[in-house]
Amino acid sequence: MRNYLLKWTQTIRVAWTNYTTYRINFFLQVIGPALVFFFIKYNLWSSIYSAKENLIIQNYNFSEMINYHIWALIVGLLAQGHTAMNLAEDIRMGRISSYLIYPFNFWEFHTANFVAFQILQIFISLITIGALYFSPLLEFHGAFAFIQGYIYTLYVSIFWFCLQYLTGMMAFWLEETWILRVIVMMITAFFSGAIIPLDLFPPDLVAVLNYTPFPYLTFYPIKIFMGEFTAIGTPYMILSFWILIFIVINSLLWRKGLKLYTAAGM
Amino acid sequence: MIHSTNLSKTFQSYIKEPGFKGSLKAIFSRNYVYKDAVKNFNIESKRGEIIGLLGPNGAGKTTLMKMFTGIIVPSRGDLTVMGYKPWERSKEFRKKIALVMGQKSQLWWDIPAMDSFLLLQKYYEIPDDKFKKRVMEMSDILQVEPLLKVHVRKLSLGERMKMELMASLLHTPEIIFLDEPTIGLDLVAQENIREFISEYHRTHNATIFLTSHYMADIQALCKRLVLIFNGEKHYDGPIKEFENILGKDKVVSFYFSEAQNPNDPLWMRLEPKWNDFLDQVELKIPESDLRETTQKILDHKSIIDFHTENMPIERVMKTLMANPDILKA
Repeated sequence: MRNYLLKWTQTIRVAWTNYTTYRINFFLQVIGPALVFFFIKYNLWSSIYSAKENLIIQNYNFSEMINYHIWALIVGLLAQGHTAMNLAEDIRMGRISSYLIYPFNFWEFHTANFVAFQILQIFISLITIGALYFSPLLEFHGAFAFIQGYIYTLYVSIFWFCLQYLTGMMAFWLEETWILRVIVMMITAFFSGAIIPLDLFPPDLVAVLNYTPFPYLTFYPIKIFMGEFTAIGTPYMILSFWILIFIVINSLLWRKGLKLYTAAGM
Repeated sequence: MIHSTNLSKTFQSYIKEPGFKGSLKAIFSRNYVYKDAVKNFNIESKRGEIIGLLGPNGAGKTTLMKMFTGIIVPSRGDLTVMGYKPWERSKEFRKKIALVMGQKSQLWWDIPAMDSFLLLQKYYEIPDDKFKKRVMEMSDILQVEPLLKVHVRKLSLGERMKMELMASLLHTPEIIFLDEPTIGLDLVAQENIREFISEYHRTHNATIFLTSHYMADIQALCKRLVLIFNGEKHYDGPIKEFENILGKDKVVSFYFSEAQNPNDPLWMRLEPKWNDFLDQVELKIPESDLRETTQKILDHKSIIDFHTENMPIERVMKTLMANPDILKA
């Protein structure tokens, strides 16, 4: 057991070294999302709201809207990694041969990488929150809502990891998976409330969306951070349901894909 | 150690006509082609053997290696390696084998080799003291100690290959599969790696499968040779016998100080191959007459230099590649 744990911790350590090798890259990764937020989202919404004084869109005034999007930024930092990118590359370039030979499995290696990435993102998100804490833009709604939101968002990240693992594994069948991944990202960003709060959507559409995993990925965690949603049993259950489904599909895909795999380029 | 009967692997692919039109057509109807990469391959190997797998590109050597290591599943036939079925990929099995691919890096690019080694130490559950000893020993033989802490992407090809070898031998595997370990390396590095492999073989009595396009590798390391053409085994036996496949004739080259008459009875019977200036010739001389015939030519002609061919295996390979049917006869 101890030996097995050591495999994980050493993989995590190596993943950190890998992530931080290119210093400028790493720095951009830390401040990139915050910069994008200020240059695009802040400017966009401030110009929309400047059209009319004291404009309120579906109960959101300007500062509430900005507050919503800052929390969306935090949720994005914590929940959406991109580890599946390496996964697809490993498959396409025939690098999975190595993992088939090492006594440490492909999924174990990538899950350890995911854990490593999440731990880094926890630091990055805390730094971002710390920096915004002193600005008037971010509004806190008590320690309880914050901790609850934080833990829930970390749970969402597991959902994302499983989904991205699935899209990454498509590399067994598709030559390029980034188009697929961009499509998934765009659709999810839109329907999960990362671009526009779901309150602004037509109620009928929201009713339908509630049967999909989308709202639980961004909209719910933001609302938990904002202290508006407190009953979170159902979202946890729905996420768990989908995570289980993905795990089943992923292991099926892995078995099918491996049969197809001929170690291209090796 | 390795035992296979009628081992076969068939790959499926489809034919795509060139251009965009061809791509569109391929979406709707595909003409599948099946290629037997390995056909009815039988082999029996004992512990401690070094076996050279020879064959032209695309003969099926790498496919065979992939089946032996469990990376791909055979289509038909039986295969056991140390009693395991490789494609089940049990962890005990994986701890006993190693695969080194000259064309493919298994080390992590962005970290120093030592970090990769430490990771592999955990994967293979190697005790600390043993690990340190192994790293010291190997880096000493390969003379790479100062490079252990340099990022792998900054290393030269030869240096990287040495690191790859070290990485795959840390856990002292019982069987090693080496797929062109010396490809693209200079002569000194090639020799260095050959010595290292043979040293490992001596101390651990490991079984080694080696593919290479450099006959020098095969000649220096292997006693047994397996020849593959189009996925089929065409020869399996001692390297010494292989050298004699084309007969026991020796090939001797002579360099004359002036142009010669190609019709001189001195070499008429010896299948001479002349250069354009008629001052260099390659003669095929039966081993029994070697001394006598050479002496005669040396006495009668003005010779600048001469030598007997030092690598008959290369000649045999070349002849066989051009005409594989020789072996069937």
